[in-house]
Amino acid sequence: MGGRETDMVLLDANGIRCDGRRVDEPRRIMIRAGVLHNANGSAYIEFGDNKIVAGVFGPRDVHPKHQSNAETGILRVRYHMQPYSVTERKRPAPSRREIEISKVIKEALLPAVMLERFPRTAVDVFVEILQADGGSRCAALDAAAVALADAGIPMRDMVSACAAGKVADTIVLDINNEEDQAGQADMPVAIMPNSGQVTLLQLDGVLTRDEYRKCIETGIAGCRLVYDIQKRALAERHFKGAGQ
Amino acid sequence: MPRTVMPGDTITREARRAGDNVLLDGDTLVSTAVGIVNVSDDTVSVIPLSGKYMPRADDLVVGMVISHTSQAWELDINAPYVGFLLATDVFGRDFASHADELTSKLALGDLVAARVANFDRTRDPLITIDDRDLGKIDSGELVKMAPGKVSSLIGRQGSMIQAIETATDAAVTIGQNGWAAVSCESADGLLRAKRAIGVIDQWAYSPGLMDRVKSALGHGGG
Amino acid sequence: MGTVSILDGLKRKLVADSVASGRRADGRALDEMRELVVETGVVPKAEGSARVRLGRTEVVTGVKVNPDRPFPDTGDRGTFICTAEIPPLAHPDAEAGPPSEAVIELARVVDRGIRESHMLDMSQLVIKRDVSVVGVFTDNAVMDDGGNLFDACSYASVAAILSCKLPVWEMAEDAPRLVEGQRRDPPITTVPVSVTMGRIGNHIVVDPSLEEWMCLDARLTITTNSEGNICALQKGGREGFTPEQLNSCAETAISVGARVRPKLEAARRAG
Repeated sequence: MGGRETDMVLLDANGIRCDGRRVDEPRRIMIRAGVLHNANGSAYIEFGDNKIVAGVFGPRDVHPKHQSNAETGILRVRYHMQPYSVTERKRPAPSRREIEISKVIKEALLPAVMLERFPRTAVDVFVEILQADGGSRCAALDAAAVALADAGIPMRDMVSACAAGKVADTIVLDINNEEDQAGQADMPVAIMPNSGQVTLLQLDGVLTRDEYRKCIETGIAGCRLVYDIQKRALAERHFKGAGQ
Repeated sequence: MPRTVMPGDTITREARRAGDNVLLDGDTLVSTAVGIVNVSDDTVSVIPLSGKYMPRADDLVVGMVISHTSQAWELDINAPYVGFLLATDVFGRDFASHADELTSKLALGDLVAARVANFDRTRDPLITIDDRDLGKIDSGELVKMAPGKVSSLIGRQGSMIQAIETATDAAVTIGQNGWAAVSCESADGLLRAKRAIGVIDQWAYSPGLMDRVKSALGHGGG
Repeated sequence: MGTVSILDGLKRKLVADSVASGRRADGRALDEMRELVVETGVVPKAEGSARVRLGRTEVVTGVKVNPDRPFPDTGDRGTFICTAEIPPLAHPDAEAGPPSEAVIELARVVDRGIRESHMLDMSQLVIKRDVSVVGVFTDNAVMDDGGNLFDACSYASVAAILSCKLPVWEMAEDAPRLVEGQRRDPPITTVPVSVTMGRIGNHIVVDPSLEEWMCLDARLTITTNSEGNICALQKGGREGFTPEQLNSCAETAISVGARVRPKLEAARRAG
C-alpha cells in the first residue's frame, strides 16, 4: 500500500473523494460481451480508466500434453499488460506481478467453472490490459467471467469482483489509482454472487478487526453492483432476439 | 416468451429433474449456461446459446479432417474433443496400413458428414461414415452456428429447413454440432440460404423468427 | 501469420474460384481493401494510440515517449522502436511466450516502413546531442487476427504516431527534466502507407482476408510515402512473383496507398 505523503485531499469534509465519488460509489463501469471473432468467448471492460479485453478458448486439446488431466479439464489464465498500458513503458515479457495476478484470477474462477465435465481438455482465459488503472485485477476478473459465460463454458455461478479500501481512515468502495498510491489499504474481493462464496481476497495495508469486516462487506456490495452490469452485458449479447 | 437465464440463476425450487445445463443445489435448480429454459415433462433443462458441441452417440455431425495417423483420421467436430474416424471404416476390414494411403480417400481440410458412433468422455469420440448419405462433402459451403440453435434451424418436423430448401433450391446437411454444409446450383440461392441460416443463428428463440427468415429468403441481390 | 489452422477444402476452392472470376468470396474487387476504421486516443495514458479495424482484423497500438540514451554513432538523432505482438486471444493458434519468427517479421516490416520513409524527423528528437534523446516506442497488439496483420499494424502505428503529443524535456545537470505543461506535435515529414498484396494462382489480391491469407502462394508488402515513392518492400510466402507482377503491384500500392493516406492523416487532426 502506498501510504505516500500527498497534498491531495483524499476525502473532504462532505465525504467526497478526490475524483468526486461518495465513499460507497464505484467508478464508471462498462462491459461488452462478444467483442472478438476468433475467440470462443470474449468481453471488453472499462472500469474507471482500466481498459481490458478478455478472450476465452476451449474446452480444447491440451498442449503440452503432460498438463492434461484424465479426471478433469484444466483452467489456464494469462493476465498480460501491454507496454503502453502504464505511464512508464512496461517491458513486454510477463513480470512476477502479472504471473501472480494470473494465478489469483485463475483461483477466483476455478470454483465456478465446471471443468470436471471436460476431462483431458483446457479452458484458456487470456486477458490483455490496454490501459491500467487502480483495481485492474478485479476488472480483469470481471471481464474474464463474462468471457467464460459468453464462450458457453458451464459455470455454477458468475464471478464478480470489486476492490474496497481504506482512505483517510475511512473504508471506501473501489479505490482508484491516486487512492491506491496515497491510501492506507487496498482489498480486492471477488464473490460468486449467488452462492455468496468469496473466491478472491487480497489485502495490502493495515486494518483493525472492525475495518476488516467493514472492508469485506463494502467489497461484496461492490461485487453485487458489478454482477448486474455483467448480466446486462451478456443479455445484450445473447438475448436481444429472445423476446426481451 | 422464452425464459432467459445465466450461469448461477435460480430457475425454480419446484421438485423437477435437472436436465442439461441445470444443476440441483439443495432444493434449487440452477442454470449453468447463458440460455433458454426448456421444461418437458418433469425435467428442466437450459438450451445454451453459445459454446461447443458435446458429442452424443447417433448424432449426425459435419466435421473437417485436421490430421491423420496410419490408422485413423482426426476430425474437428466443433467439440472439446477431436473425432476419430478409423481407416477400417472407410477402407473396409481388410485395410492394410502399409498399402492403403489414407490421404487418397480423405485429405486435410476435407469436410465429411458423419455419425457419432460412441463417446464417453474418457476417450475421444469415435465417428463413422459407414452409412448412406454419410461421407465426404464434395460441394457447397460450410456455415457455422451455435449447436444449441440447430433445433431452430431444423424446426418442428423439419419445417424450417424445408422452407429454406424449397425457397432456395439449396441442399443443407445439418450437423448437430452446429456445422452445416449448404450447396446450391445458383449463387443467388446459396446466398439467400446462408443469409437465412445467419438469421436463425442470431434470432433463434425470438417470437418472430419465421417472419425474419422469410424476409431473408425473399429476394437475392446484395 | 501465427496461423496454422486448416482451411476447409470447399472454402479453399471457393477462394480460388472467386479470385479467378474477378470477384472475391467476400464480394470485393481484386484491388479493393476491406473497410478500414481508424480511432485514435483509445489509450489516453499513452502519448499516442490507435485502434484499427481492417475487416475482421483488429489492432490496438500505443506510443510511449521517454528520454533515451542515443546510439553511440547517432547521437544527433532520437530513437525509434516498433514491436508487434499476437497475444493468444487473437487467434486459436497464437501462443503466449517468445515471439515466433512470423511475429518478428511482422514487427520488423512495420518498423521498416515507418523508419525508412523517415516519417519522423529524428534530428528533431534530440534533448542534448550525444547525451539524451527522445525515444519513441510503438507497440502493436493484435486483438483479432482476421488476416493481413502487416497493413493493420502499420496503419495503427502510423495513426498512433500522428495522434501523438510529445512531452518536452530540458537538460538539468546532465539529466533530462520534464517541462510540465508543455506538449508538441511530432516532427512528421511524410505519411507512409503499406499495402499488402497476395498472389493466388495468377491473380493478385489487395488486403487478403484470413481465408485468402491461408491460400496465398506469395505475398508482397509495399510501403509508399506521401510523394508516392516506394520506401520499403517485403516479399514473403513459399512462391515468387514475375517482374511484370511486381510492376503492377507497385502501381496498385501507390494508388491504393493514396486512397488510404487521408484516413490515417485524419489521426493528426483528431489527435
